[in-house]
Amino acid sequence: MHRIRRLSVALTVAGVLGVAAPAAANATPLVTISGATSSYPLVDLLANKYVKLHPHKVRFKITQGGTTVGLANVKDGSDTIADVAQEPNGSDAGLVFYPIAKYAICVVTNKSNPVTNLTPAQVTSIFTGKTKTWSSALGGATASGPIEVFTRTSVAGVLTSFKSLLLEGKSVESAATEESTEGQLRQAVESAPDGIGFLSNYQANKGGLNAVEFNGVACDQATAASGQYQGVADFYEVTKGDATGAAASFINWIDKSPAAKKIIASQWILIG
Amino acid sequence: MMEWLRRPWPDHRAERTLGAVSLFVFVVVVAMAVFVATKAWPIFQHNGLSWLSGGGDLESEINRMTVATTKPAAAVYHLRAWPLIYGTLLSTAFALVLGLTIAVLASVFIVELAPVRVSRVVIPMVRLLASVPSVIYGLIGILVLVPFVGQNLITTHERESVQNVIQLTGAGLAVTVVILTIMITPIMIALICEALASVPPSWREGAVALGLNPLRAVRAVTLKAIRPAIVAAAVLATARALGEAVMIQMVSGGKSFAPKPVDGVVFFFEPLRTLASAIIDYHDGIGSPALGASVYAWALLLLFSAFALSVTGYLVKLPLRKYQTRG
Amino acid sequence: MSTYSPEAQQSGSVPGAPSGRGSSGRGRRSSPMSWRWGDRVALAAAWGAGIGLCVIAAAIVLYMGYRGIQYLRPGLIFTHPRVSESGADSGGFLDPLIGTIVLTVIGIALALPLALASAVWVAEYGRPSWLARVVESSIEIVAGTPDIVIAIFGLAIFQLSLFAPFSFTSQGGGVYGNSFIAAGAMMSLLALPPVYAATRDGLQAVPGHMREAAFALGKTRITTIRRVLLPSVRSNIATGVTLGISRIIGSTAIVLILLGATLRIETQGSVPGIDLLRGTGSSLTTYIYDNSPAGEGGAPQKAYAAAFLLLVFVLLLNLLVDRIGRAQASSTGMTPIGAVV
Repeated sequence: MHRIRRLSVALTVAGVLGVAAPAAANATPLVTISGATSSYPLVDLLANKYVKLHPHKVRFKITQGGTTVGLANVKDGSDTIADVAQEPNGSDAGLVFYPIAKYAICVVTNKSNPVTNLTPAQVTSIFTGKTKTWSSALGGATASGPIEVFTRTSVAGVLTSFKSLLLEGKSVESAATEESTEGQLRQAVESAPDGIGFLSNYQANKGGLNAVEFNGVACDQATAASGQYQGVADFYEVTKGDATGAAASFINWIDKSPAAKKIIASQWILIG
Repeated sequence: MMEWLRRPWPDHRAERTLGAVSLFVFVVVVAMAVFVATKAWPIFQHNGLSWLSGGGDLESEINRMTVATTKPAAAVYHLRAWPLIYGTLLSTAFALVLGLTIAVLASVFIVELAPVRVSRVVIPMVRLLASVPSVIYGLIGILVLVPFVGQNLITTHERESVQNVIQLTGAGLAVTVVILTIMITPIMIALICEALASVPPSWREGAVALGLNPLRAVRAVTLKAIRPAIVAAAVLATARALGEAVMIQMVSGGKSFAPKPVDGVVFFFEPLRTLASAIIDYHDGIGSPALGASVYAWALLLLFSAFALSVTGYLVKLPLRKYQTRG
Repeated sequence: MSTYSPEAQQSGSVPGAPSGRGSSGRGRRSSPMSWRWGDRVALAAAWGAGIGLCVIAAAIVLYMGYRGIQYLRPGLIFTHPRVSESGADSGGFLDPLIGTIVLTVIGIALALPLALASAVWVAEYGRPSWLARVVESSIEIVAGTPDIVIAIFGLAIFQLSLFAPFSFTSQGGGVYGNSFIAAGAMMSLLALPPVYAATRDGLQAVPGHMREAAFALGKTRITTIRRVLLPSVRSNIATGVTLGISRIIGSTAIVLILLGATLRIETQGSVPGIDLLRGTGSSLTTYIYDNSPAGEGGAPQKAYAAAFLLLVFVLLLNLLVDRIGRAQASSTGMTPIGAVV
């Protein structure tokens, strides 16, 4: 009786170890990605498609946190790839930037706001806090009352690109409300009749917001692809040193495969 | 070995084993203090105790910490977290004052004044309020109360008056205090009701016999008699209010701003941030050295306050023993 | 300004007096009409406070019910959530629901033995007494610690390389520290105080003659505990466990920080069972949070639906505690003290 019990315990332990050891050796590689909230929808769609087309080859774990957080995670090795929505700068030595798509940065207001166009000077003056009230001086019908400026927290790549492309390099006023993700900025402007903010074209054109023309040019896929629209930046996948292994296959697939290009062209702009 | 385990255990072995298992909780408490303090140490190392004071711009200090990735310079650790402490104190103090008043009134109502049928309905309702999860309070706050305040209670003039410094969106001190009060009042009601019910009725009857009306009798005799219970309830409610993170993060406006009382009515609409809601806001930056140390430092402050409140609660409940009420 | 005038009482008119309560005030109370103005305000305030809280509780339940019926469809409970471009086809909340259940199971499974052992030791042995006070105070400290601090502590522990098997290690050697077992372990700290308090109170309320009878029959103390005392406090333990479950399913902070925030349950490794423990996921509470304007906010309707479901669970647990309390009161004449809020 006791012998049987002892034997069954030993068999169970051996069985578990026997399954665990070779299983651990054959585990599919795990690629961890973190970074920009603006490119998250795109990278998530690409990763899901890649896994569907290449089953059991790789697993992805995608989180967000903002461009700067993604870069930091790649630098200290806790993540394989970073989603980045801004240009490389001096502090990114040792990192390799692979562009995967282009996106446009749109200035957005609440749906109830009838304003249709803003000049570059007006945009700069609003976001830096010089212009404080909606008024007809902004050209045509607008909402009324004080302007509520929404911006992103400092980890956002979209903020960095917005500043350099559409804000003449200046900084957003400190009284502006900072939102930590694109989704939250969109919601904030959607619920504030006096609000103004900036979003990637994917979020701006979802409906529910008013994407304002910049210098007379509408902000959408077509104008961005044709080069007419001024505020177009790149999404990058960034690795420490050259990409290797599963990460390299994934980035290669994004660059070359027609399925990936179809996904990119649906809401974003193809590179070159 | 199996034989040894399966035989009936002698009492001394059982006692030792159970005692050892029980001490595991003590180990956990010590580990909590040690680990959180160790991870928070860099902030104390670079700032001393002055990180509790104010004077800097907390938002830009945190920005600097977020973008500094590995091995930051000493200047990056500069932190002046007073706006967080101020926000915590403000919201807790207002909620406590409001809540204690309502709790005492409601408890007197339940125990003394209400007909039995009414109190049989009120008591489960109060217990229900205590068990609603905080995320549901936050959901109702952010989807119902914040838009209501933002669109109906804040005037354009008020918005313009503070426009240079802050934007008023409806999420701020008022909504935070209202919901926090609703959350902590049931806890106090439970304790105060128990204490009220255990005061010997002859005390109150004596007062009524001397000519006081029932309400006066309660005020003159019973409330004074349960003062330790009221203090214990206040301590318990403060601990709950200090630790409330998710609900406050949803409705407080998320700006490390210290609301200014001189602004008058606008003071109640200004956004704020508490220690607990800041931990939620910045917890995904915990991998970065400087920001991580700050988050742990705030957690250490909360742990220390909870510990101090526990000790206070214990000391306060000692006199309660003579009424045979359960602490 | 007479407050209690025997002549008026004897004439039999006592308008507006509350019905008799207990041993006092059987028809001899003074009418509020004769009170001072300040006292009348206080009376109105007390009634207002009591009724007002009821109104607020009813408003919360009714509003969540209204929204829940508006948005909750049975299909949502059994569909996996999906990441999609619009909120419309973002699926249901099966994974968060499973996540909540898994966390509750892990939390209670870890808390129950610990709480029972501690309660039994403190109530039945408890020597030396300073040690018993240490254990009691430790559990009280854990009970008073905010959820968020427990969560941060959990992160500090499970990101040590010692605990790497409990989550996963990313390429650079950093331990992720987020997994079901990590969150579940911290949830057990939440559930520990209610179970401990209820069991200890139950054990202390067992009359001494039951123990003495068992000793007279020659049983050892530990056997008495196992065979006589613990079964008799079953409903106390049940009350404590229900309160613990209530705390676990309502906790958001721990899940936000320790469960990895993936919409679907993602397992880690390939040993079945263990891979779920090491994996990441979400719970009903974080699903509500993520779908509200505080998170991505894409779908407040889903948030309402999930919130309604969560509220229903909590209400059912409340009813269960009541039911257990009443059952025990009628059978033994004692109420489990843990039933009070």
